Amino acid sequence: MKRLSGRAAARGAALAPAALLHSAEVTTDADPSGPPDEERRRLEDALARAAQQLHGLAEQVTADVGTEEGEIFEAHAAFAQDPELGGRAKELIDEGASAEAAVTAAFDGFRELLAASDSEYLSARAADLDDVRDRALTLLVGRSVEVDVPDEPSVIVAHELTPSQTASIPRRVIAALVTETGSPTSHAAILARSLGVPAVVGVAGIVELLDDGSQLAVDGDAGEVVIDPDEDARTEIEERVAEAERRRAELEELRDEPGCTADGHRIELAANIGGDADLELAATTGAEGSGLVRTEFLYLDRDDAPNVDEQAAFVEKALTAFPGHRVVVRTLDVGADKPLPFVERDPEPNPALGLRGIRLSLADPDAFREQLRAFLRGQEAAGDRAGQLAIMFPLLSVPSELTEARCHLDEVANEEHAELDGVEVGVMIETPAAALAAGQFAAGCDFLSIGTNDLLQYLFAADRLNAEVATLADAAAPVVLRLIGEVVRAAHSEGAWVGVCGEAASDPALAVALVGLGVDELSMTAAAIPEIKATLRSVTRDDCRTATERAMAQPDAATARDVLGAPPVS
Amino acid sequence: MSERTVELTNPSGLHARPAKVFAEAAAGLDATVTVSKGEREVNAASVLSVLTLDCHQGDRITIRAEGDGANEAVDHLVALVDEGLGEEPT
Repeated sequence: MKRLSGRAAARGAALAPAALLHSAEVTTDADPSGPPDEERRRLEDALARAAQQLHGLAEQVTADVGTEEGEIFEAHAAFAQDPELGGRAKELIDEGASAEAAVTAAFDGFRELLAASDSEYLSARAADLDDVRDRALTLLVGRSVEVDVPDEPSVIVAHELTPSQTASIPRRVIAALVTETGSPTSHAAILARSLGVPAVVGVAGIVELLDDGSQLAVDGDAGEVVIDPDEDARTEIEERVAEAERRRAELEELRDEPGCTADGHRIELAANIGGDADLELAATTGAEGSGLVRTEFLYLDRDDAPNVDEQAAFVEKALTAFPGHRVVVRTLDVGADKPLPFVERDPEPNPALGLRGIRLSLADPDAFREQLRAFLRGQEAAGDRAGQLAIMFPLLSVPSELTEARCHLDEVANEEHAELDGVEVGVMIETPAAALAAGQFAAGCDFLSIGTNDLLQYLFAADRLNAEVATLADAAAPVVLRLIGEVVRAAHSEGAWVGVCGEAASDPALAVALVGLGVDELSMTAAAIPEIKATLRSVTRDDCRTATERAMAQPDAATARDVLGAPPVS
Repeated sequence: MSERTVELTNPSGLHARPAKVFAEAAAGLDATVTVSKGEREVNAASVLSVLTLDCHQGDRITIRAEGDGANEAVDHLVALVDEGLGEEPT
């Protein structure tokens, strides 16, 4: 039994066999993609990056677990930079192999030597070598790693889960997610919450410490993972699983009740939608429309842009799923962490601060207008009995971007002979500049939607995918609450409503704070709606205000969270 | 060329951390260094190759160097082995 700790990223408990996601089944293309010089450069780059990752892991594991465990990773880093191994791989490339084939053959050569040894120590190193090889191959092939998918519900364990990897795992086999990197706002964490399964992220070294077939107990509340739990640990986690089941049944009874506080103040509880599966889930959890329909998924894993008909068909489907409710569809939001193969862009030194969101749309107005056209046609096709379309623009930083985007919308509506009267237009507040200019934005549109994930990342200058700094960006921080309060005040004075569609909306303590700050709508992963509904229905609006004021007076996020975790019951 | 044979006195031999200490020391030298046990001779700067020799405490290894500073290189590595490759003696 081995206990590892990370960061709690999605609540709940699970006990299931581990399924390691690695690239063992990568189809290594034997034909080089470029000349030997290029392949050699790719090889050197992949090995150097693998060694760098492993050095980083070694430091983290040494600090979290111990020196002995840390040394395992130092040894792995040395394997990645071994001169004989690298030399052999380069020879193979000069003989015409691809970098992938050369890495595989060079590692496997040493693997055979080690595996053939009588020494137990050396044969165990063979498995280590496989891990290092897979890490190097993953870096070589980039995003397009094929994953080994388990047959039964399993705890999915990976160094890092990319959106395309998570997309390739059937949801029914995911019992829990555990990653070495990441933060509670990384893709793995968001996926876990949307599935209603527990997740722990930032568990240093777990990939190498695990064997296939190990049992894992995952505690998504404490942020703890136990490898091969003993009898006591199993019993404990099994009780937690049963408790979670009971709670689920209780929440089920609230499904058709509206979102409101105990004193009847209405808060719309909407679902974030990123694909067909989310629409199905939202239907079962009592979502009141959608505050964020992401259109990016229509663009992922394909070589060309989706045409107007395809996009319109999805919008129609989303609207049809929420009759009588508002459905906020966001225009394409691609950027640093979700590049598209067919959107040609020069490499940027700092993509998170580059051409993304509305900036990309305004730079490519033809594609932008095709999207707007698709939205309007989707509304037209869905008809009156479906939900009401609202359109939202992502990542604005200056009000002129809104003016320009609206101009395109007006022109497209004109071309389509579409009525824009019922169609609300909104802006995502994700940059500090937009938050501080909320009044100006609100004067030019119907609603503001605060995207807490990006807003936090830009406010604290902390990459949410980097586990070492992600903890800095906490939505409970008093500065964040103050800023959101300002946005709400400015928007309301212009007659605009305010929603929150970031992950903060699905955190019960933060939901209380957001209601206390005057937010009108919370849009979250559909699985979180029942819990948030139950939480809000147990407190009055004054409770929320009081708790929020106390939280804002705290020195930091941790103490603010403590205050919010226990709102006074009147 | 310079060459010396030396007995491994540290508990782990050329395994685990001592193998890494040895290979890193060899890689940091100007001379080209090999290490052999019995028939097999490998690049001393390659920790993987050094591991495949499967050298235990009490085994005798031969360190051979060529090029600039060959003598110093062998002296340096022999001294490192005699000191126990960073491992406490048992």
